[in-house]
Amino acid sequence: MAMRDLITGATSCPDPSASSSSQNPLASFANVLTGSLSKTQERVREIPSSNSTGSASQFYSEPLNQLPGSEFDKPFIEANSQGSEFINRFRSAGAAGFEETWGEIQRDGSQLQLYDGRGQLPPQLHQPALDGTPQRVLSTFLHSFLDSSRGGIPFHPTSLPVLGLSEGDKQCIRDRSSIMARHLFADKSEEFIHAQVNALLSSLDIDSNVRGKGPMPERFRELDDYWNESQGNVIQGAHASDGWISEFSQNRERYDNPDAWANSFEQQHGVNGWVSEFEHSQLSSVDQMRGMNMQNIAAMEQTRMLANTLAQNADPKFQNSKFFQFVSKMSRGELIIDENQVKETALPAPGDWASEYQQQYNHGDAWAGEFLNNKAFSGVRPEQWAKEFATERQQNGAVDDQWVDEFSNLRVNDWAEEFGQQVGEGAFGEDSSNNWAQAYDEFLNEQYVAKQRSDSSRGVYVFSDLNPYVGHPNPLKEGQDLFRKGLLSEAVLALEAEVLKSPENAEGWRLLGIAHAENDDDQQAIAAMMRAQEADPTNLEVLLALGVSHTNELEQSAALKYLFGWLRHHPKYGTIAPPEMSDSLYYADVARLYNEAAVMSPDDADVHIVLGVLYNLSREYDKAIAAFERALKLKPQDYSLWNKLGATQANSVQSADAIMAYQQALDLKPNYVRAWANMGISYANQGMYDESVRYYVRALAMNPKAENAWQYLRISLSCASRNDMLEACDSRNLDLLQKEFPLQ
Amino acid sequence: MPVFKTPFNGYSVKFSPFYENRIAVATAQNFGILGNGRLHVLELSSNPTLPITELVAYDTADGVYDVTWSESHDSVVVAAVADGSVKLYDLALPPSSNPIRSFHEHTREVHSADYNPVRRDSFLSASWDDTVKLWTVDRPTSVRTFKEHAYCVYSAVWNPRHADVFASASGDCTLRIWDVREPGSTMILPAHDHEILSCDWNKYDECIIATASVDKSIKVWDVRSFRVPISVLNGHGYAVRKLKFSPHVRNLMVSCSYDMSVCVWDFMLEDALVSRYDHHTEFAVGVDMSVLVEGLIASTGWDELAYVWQHGTDPRAS
Repeated sequence: MAMRDLITGATSCPDPSASSSSQNPLASFANVLTGSLSKTQERVREIPSSNSTGSASQFYSEPLNQLPGSEFDKPFIEANSQGSEFINRFRSAGAAGFEETWGEIQRDGSQLQLYDGRGQLPPQLHQPALDGTPQRVLSTFLHSFLDSSRGGIPFHPTSLPVLGLSEGDKQCIRDRSSIMARHLFADKSEEFIHAQVNALLSSLDIDSNVRGKGPMPERFRELDDYWNESQGNVIQGAHASDGWISEFSQNRERYDNPDAWANSFEQQHGVNGWVSEFEHSQLSSVDQMRGMNMQNIAAMEQTRMLANTLAQNADPKFQNSKFFQFVSKMSRGELIIDENQVKETALPAPGDWASEYQQQYNHGDAWAGEFLNNKAFSGVRPEQWAKEFATERQQNGAVDDQWVDEFSNLRVNDWAEEFGQQVGEGAFGEDSSNNWAQAYDEFLNEQYVAKQRSDSSRGVYVFSDLNPYVGHPNPLKEGQDLFRKGLLSEAVLALEAEVLKSPENAEGWRLLGIAHAENDDDQQAIAAMMRAQEADPTNLEVLLALGVSHTNELEQSAALKYLFGWLRHHPKYGTIAPPEMSDSLYYADVARLYNEAAVMSPDDADVHIVLGVLYNLSREYDKAIAAFERALKLKPQDYSLWNKLGATQANSVQSADAIMAYQQALDLKPNYVRAWANMGISYANQGMYDESVRYYVRALAMNPKAENAWQYLRISLSCASRNDMLEACDSRNLDLLQKEFPLQ
Repeated sequence: MPVFKTPFNGYSVKFSPFYENRIAVATAQNFGILGNGRLHVLELSSNPTLPITELVAYDTADGVYDVTWSESHDSVVVAAVADGSVKLYDLALPPSSNPIRSFHEHTREVHSADYNPVRRDSFLSASWDDTVKLWTVDRPTSVRTFKEHAYCVYSAVWNPRHADVFASASGDCTLRIWDVREPGSTMILPAHDHEILSCDWNKYDECIIATASVDKSIKVWDVRSFRVPISVLNGHGYAVRKLKFSPHVRNLMVSCSYDMSVCVWDFMLEDALVSRYDHHTEFAVGVDMSVLVEGLIASTGWDELAYVWQHGTDPRAS
């Protein structure tokens, strides 16, 4: 990002001294961009080891007779003679000052004066080497940190002995590990990098909030306000036991840490869902666990996971890694962390304390094992959560690496969606400016914070206050009518009254979910759909809607679960979906089944819709577009289908086409808030920020509760250099905005 | 066996431009994250079956990230130290007299140093404080500070032909080309979408420069037509940490990466990867090619080993 501005000269260089203390949300954004790396690996030529015996004689001065490639050693640019001139032209006439200095150096410096014995040489610095046990522990620990880059294994905080690090040392570790982590984990998400660094720092008891050097220098002061504002969202509180505090603080740092502002989608959803659930479980179990040695339990649990992941890596280099051995030992309980060192348990520690410790330790082990298998024994609906969670957890654990890799292949804008993350596509569009990045960063963070809150309350539907339809004789019918008329916000109220009256009415919940979705309110949509599914687990439309929304949220396993469920419960296709498959769903299997279904009944629009959704999951946008187009041939009046097509086109960087598709959707349903907002996003993607603002304002005029659209609007306003209207946006002054940005 | 075990993690290795059997190795404790540093000067035996011997070693209070040999004095080396200092050592003087200079102007880690090969009287240091500084040996302060990059500068390298031209590679994803007689950079090349960790000029065509990035790729550029790279070299599995053009073969270069390998490339070939050396067991972070002996390569890495071998042979062969 920065470089574009550097080229265009859009921004001036910031003062590096300011940057060294910067908290740097923007930067993270830039790093989120680093997602897309080419995985293409060229064929590697092995070194012929048999040649090595003869190497001795020619070691020094004898060059190879034929160096590979030397036959190509010829000039490949004929204009070579121009080269010097070209570089010389760098020099313009005007800069005499530097030249003088430079020339002067040349004259003076021709004679080195190293040996004149002026004696003013600074004394050599001496500092005691960090030998001894703490040093060894630190070294091993840092090694494990660096090693974690290889497998893309999440690095978990471990409790380390007190190492006696000075503040200066801590700052060194903090700064350098942050910078290095960006090199090591280049193809991981920013969030992943942060989790890694924070895990490292919290294990070493280093405050990660004082970031010496963020990924990029700070540029925009106004961010601070936003930042402070969002601090209000930080969940406060601490758990009773120290081990969990470190776990918690790691979690907390995700909010606190300025660099965590840019969050990857992947982390927002799958993994954090897990974290929050995990935290949940911890809360409820803190009482039982009080008095145990939490650190070792936590460490055990983490290292066990790590060891499993490592063990799957067949690379012999990996198997030989010092880190692997360390971790394996630890997970088997052969190593424990004593108060000030890592110990082998085989060596009996003296005294009662040791046996007591061991006992606790074993207890902890058992608990940790149990915990692994049963992550969620708390929550609103324990049995459902537990089931859902166990599968997710399993998959997350096993394919964590893959997940991350997969994510990193996304250009972050790849999958913007009906449901809310659509900003992704816009924000990372080709012509993003720093302003954009900035605002997007803020947005991501806010969304992230919101997500954090919502994760714990996921699936909990929040009813509106003051609902005029409560007590209405037939709110469902009223709601359906309002929905048909396109009065979505009103329809929501009526339908809420309906489900309050009869909570088991799946249709009421479903319609409510759809109304929220079309109104661009994800969280409520998902919550409503989940209630609908509870009420009627086999409702096809509900399953499809949940599949779509989880796809939007990039929760592949959940999406696959619902999409598979749709097939399972479909009267026509139930036979081709073997029930035992639901235990381990893979993308390829589900896609195959749907392709079979499409062959069975090529005229079933729903099958093509699901195929389109699935191809979005795998980011095969061309196929997705084709599938949606086929479905549209069968169902040309389905406005939500036009919207899906548009979103997919936007994802495959065809924003102009997307606008056509959205327009179709809006022609069919003028009050389709989501399509209005999507329209805005597509314009923003094309750099037409003024246009995009108008569409966002229109969407918001229809539903001021569309939180995402407010954020998109803010981004577009900054990009369109309409900072004067930011305040109107922040204060949600729709009148002013509508007056300023009328839609022709 | 041409291998040397360093107590700390290797960070950089450089052949002496004066003695074909001498190399300097920069090392840092704890992977350079915390702790001391040590600069080794090593002698290769004329019989390659004999081990490498240590001529001298200098300890520093912080990790040594890079080293460069003086082009004018055969016994002088410049060390880039993580505490922000640039130190000069003279091997001819007793250890008690060393370092002979310690320049402390950078406010953050100094990540690279490069001695001017044409004028031979000055050198550059590139730092995480986003600046590049120009120094001469005899001045107590830097001659100039080049402050345009928006993020860490990882490498600054002199043009092999033009005494006043150098390039800098930065984490701000740009490569900048400078003429020290000019007030600002003369060219800004947005070379990668990710941080650029290293760059080097072609030794035969002074308009060609290569960049190595966290995005795992190496790109070769002609500064006269910089819109598209001449070549993009893929094959490393992790960030490419350092690269160096061959002093002897126009199109050949060597690179090392966090994927633990050292690769030799011919950037004009379609199948550009000439060789891959997998001898390191941890990240390979330092690599150099000898000016005096064609095909001689040295590498070092976080496995605390420095290797010297002839291109085309196995570095681990004894």
